[in-house]
Amino acid sequence: MHGVQETSRNDELPTEGNAKVTGAAVYTWDTALPRMLHGKLLRSPLPHARIRSIDTTEALAILGVVCIVTGDDVAPLAEQFYGVGLRDQPVIALDRVRFVGDPVAAIVAVDEATAFRAAQAIKVDYEPLPPLMTVEDALADDAPALFDGPTPGIPIPVGKGWSSVADPVRNVLCEYNFGYGDATAILDASDQVFTDTFAVTRINHFHLEPHVNIAHWNDGRLEMWSCNQDPFVIRGDIARIFGLPLHRVRIHTPLVGGGFGGKSYCKMEPLVALMARKAGAPVRLALSMDESILTLVKHPGRLTLTTGVDREGRLTARRADIVLDGGAYSDASALVAVKTGFRVGGGYHWQAIASRARIVRTTTVPSGSFRGFGGTQASFASERQIDLIARRLGEDPLTFRMRNLLDVDQPFAPNERGMDSDLSAGLQDVAERIGYSSKRQQGRGIGFAVGLKDAGGTGNHAQALVRVTQDGEVMVSAAVVDVGQGAASALCRIATDVLGLPLANATYAPIDTDHSPPDNGTHVSCGTLVTGRAIEQAAAEVRKQIETFAAERLDCDVSEIVLEGWTVRRGNVVHPLTPMVRKYYGGIGWEFIGRGAFKEPYDPDTPMGARNISWMPCWSVAEVSVDDETGRVTLHRLIVSADPGRALSREACHGQIEGAAMQALGQAMFEELRYRGAEPENATPLTYRVPKVRDLPAHFESVVAEHGMGFGPGGVKGIGEAGMLGIAAAIANAIQDATGASLTTMPFTPEKVLDALDQLRHVGDVPVVERS
Amino acid sequence: MKSMTLSLTINGALRHCEVASSTVLADVLRDTFGLQGCKVACDQGVCGACTVLVDGEPVAACATFAFVVDGRSIMTVEGLAQNGVLHAVQTSFLENSAFQCGFCTSGMILSIVALLRAHPEPDEETIRDWLGGNVCRCTGYGPIVEAVRRVIPAHALEHA
Ligand code: FES
Ligand code: FES
Repeated sequence: MHGVQETSRNDELPTEGNAKVTGAAVYTWDTALPRMLHGKLLRSPLPHARIRSIDTTEALAILGVVCIVTGDDVAPLAEQFYGVGLRDQPVIALDRVRFVGDPVAAIVAVDEATAFRAAQAIKVDYEPLPPLMTVEDALADDAPALFDGPTPGIPIPVGKGWSSVADPVRNVLCEYNFGYGDATAILDASDQVFTDTFAVTRINHFHLEPHVNIAHWNDGRLEMWSCNQDPFVIRGDIARIFGLPLHRVRIHTPLVGGGFGGKSYCKMEPLVALMARKAGAPVRLALSMDESILTLVKHPGRLTLTTGVDREGRLTARRADIVLDGGAYSDASALVAVKTGFRVGGGYHWQAIASRARIVRTTTVPSGSFRGFGGTQASFASERQIDLIARRLGEDPLTFRMRNLLDVDQPFAPNERGMDSDLSAGLQDVAERIGYSSKRQQGRGIGFAVGLKDAGGTGNHAQALVRVTQDGEVMVSAAVVDVGQGAASALCRIATDVLGLPLANATYAPIDTDHSPPDNGTHVSCGTLVTGRAIEQAAAEVRKQIETFAAERLDCDVSEIVLEGWTVRRGNVVHPLTPMVRKYYGGIGWEFIGRGAFKEPYDPDTPMGARNISWMPCWSVAEVSVDDETGRVTLHRLIVSADPGRALSREACHGQIEGAAMQALGQAMFEELRYRGAEPENATPLTYRVPKVRDLPAHFESVVAEHGMGFGPGGVKGIGEAGMLGIAAAIANAIQDATGASLTTMPFTPEKVLDALDQLRHVGDVPVVERS
Repeated sequence: MKSMTLSLTINGALRHCEVASSTVLADVLRDTFGLQGCKVACDQGVCGACTVLVDGEPVAACATFAFVVDGRSIMTVEGLAQNGVLHAVQTSFLENSAFQCGFCTSGMILSIVALLRAHPEPDEETIRDWLGGNVCRCTGYGPIVEAVRRVIPAHALEHA
């Protein structure tokens, strides 16, 4: 059933897994400081309102309440807002609330129960304002503006072929246009042109460890423990908001209990720092899962694609109009818009692309990064439309894809890095695995999708340290956060491979911004690629130091020295290193320390402002049947394949692919954070449905397709987001294959399936393709 | 709030503690006895992260008042390994990469220990039934089900 064959876990750090199965693993959730106080938040019950006043008198009188932080405490800070590029989210509501759940007051007390009681005793006088629950509400002529002035910060800088603008019209946070070639002329000249609209829904990350932070000020210096994917981003944001030098802020990031993008960039951290400063004592703020659900979601949106095809069935040009619901605050919306607009062409060859992506502000939970940064939205629309077009042309969707996919080394866009996966071979492989050419079982449909996104980030950088003791133990320091993706093992493996030492000798140093070398965050599956390169370089430098040391001790040329495990060989004589180091450095010994760094250089001629580091395809194929009375879809088989270039740990790769695929399956079939009017309808763990073990398809297979062309050490590339990319489209395509019904809006609930079947009866739009 | 004294057998040792009537078992285990392998995620009895065994039965420690389990025997993930030797389910989790972030893992392992006690050789349906209350957002469940299948039944019964 499940594609993993290997039974041994000897490619893992021995310490890491043990702690997780014995309960010894320590997360931020488990961290405590002496004299620590506890926080709770009072959140807005209204979607949109002006705060006339906040009366905390009664709450402050409760025994055990230490202090209460409100917008008044934020006003004197050096800066009041955070966000990625565009910064509009206040540390806590200043004079207005913009979604149900917007934090209004933060209570610090001796324990959570007291803080919670105090929250109930705070009186907030709101002047309700019109809610803007949907993109249509927000863009209506009479809609009030959600923000008064221009948005602080800058829209994400992009490269050739782009234009970007913040606040183009009321309630639009930003707009990006990207393109190359003359899309209008090419579409006009195309044999056939198709326009379709697709909708993606709002889902939550639902990481099991909710957001939690502990802050502690000592002598003007802030120390924080934060379950965040970006310790150095947090350090920078806090320093900016509090007007502090960077080294006055120290962030620890212990193990993170799941993130998927929900713990990237700044969230509650500045607020917790402010609470601790006002309380004059360490403060822990642990959100409940309900609150975490109201902290960040994945962008819902609408994508309209207009795509041309020539007489030979070749794709010509695509125009895309992408409208994403950014929710109340910017968070990483600007980045997601850029990435959605960039990726909407998918893995195909085009003469021209013209995409426009806008972020609309609404009075809903802020949207931000979610495993794939717009990649899933773009892939769903693109791969649904490719299938629709093939079927309209009376073509087999597999053949149609094969004809149009990019070849190896062919650039995704002008001046971009060439394709470093064989897209056709990957697709062919999953087609064979599902037995596409054999006779279809009665009532079953098969659907494909080739998801694609860029990976490794834009101009990303990382530094790393590798330290080796006189006994050959290896300490790897970097800032890649282990959110469960196995980063510690993968990065240590890169170092020990260079050194020729066993992985068991390695330790991944805890992340602490005072000591860890910086990077720009654990994102876009860049850990093994970007940081991996820095580590490879650091390890090579250490190796050279060790060899040079041995050559000096043995009084020979370094070229005569061969490092073999923790010995050096010169000619036929083997010298153990431990006594050699001890003899020279004495009792306490010595550590060899190597440094490495990597930065993908900026290049203004590339679309993203720097060449993309790698391409991340996901080849998916689904087999379904549909009960046409109830509309229930049964997913019989799901095969998902992704290319890590070279797998550092095949097990970890299978895990990443399957975990992501299951999240995508949830979004495709049932998962959705819904609003009923202005109220979130299911923002609790009980009512928000995530995939459970029962949702595993009868046959679920993940494929680690090592195409060997990655840019990272030894040909590796990232894989963490891949499995998310194609699933929803593959399932919808399979539904269409089975029934002819066309689903363009997630999730594919029985109601939507019945509607689509009904429409089919009335319109008979898309013919079912017969294959021999 | 009224407080009361409880006697609990935790991982085989008799322990006593004083709790308020509103204290839940998860807080006693984590805060009083430092057994932080008991993870609290949803805090509403729906995700299974906090699962512990009370007299061998899986229970959501976040949704169980401590006084309710007075006098009973509680097994947490910390109590599974004996003399430094991992329980067969723990070993199987390691061998099958049945976890990523690890936040669901303690609860998942204890649910499986209970499952294997009741059904030493569970079929697919039984596994899905018993794990229906444990959410894992990371792995996609495949490796977890695989880990259950690969536990040697005889081993599963030891010190369960
Ligand atoms: S934390 Fe107890 S069931 Fe979720
Ligand atoms: S391993 Fe992260 S939730 Fe299961």
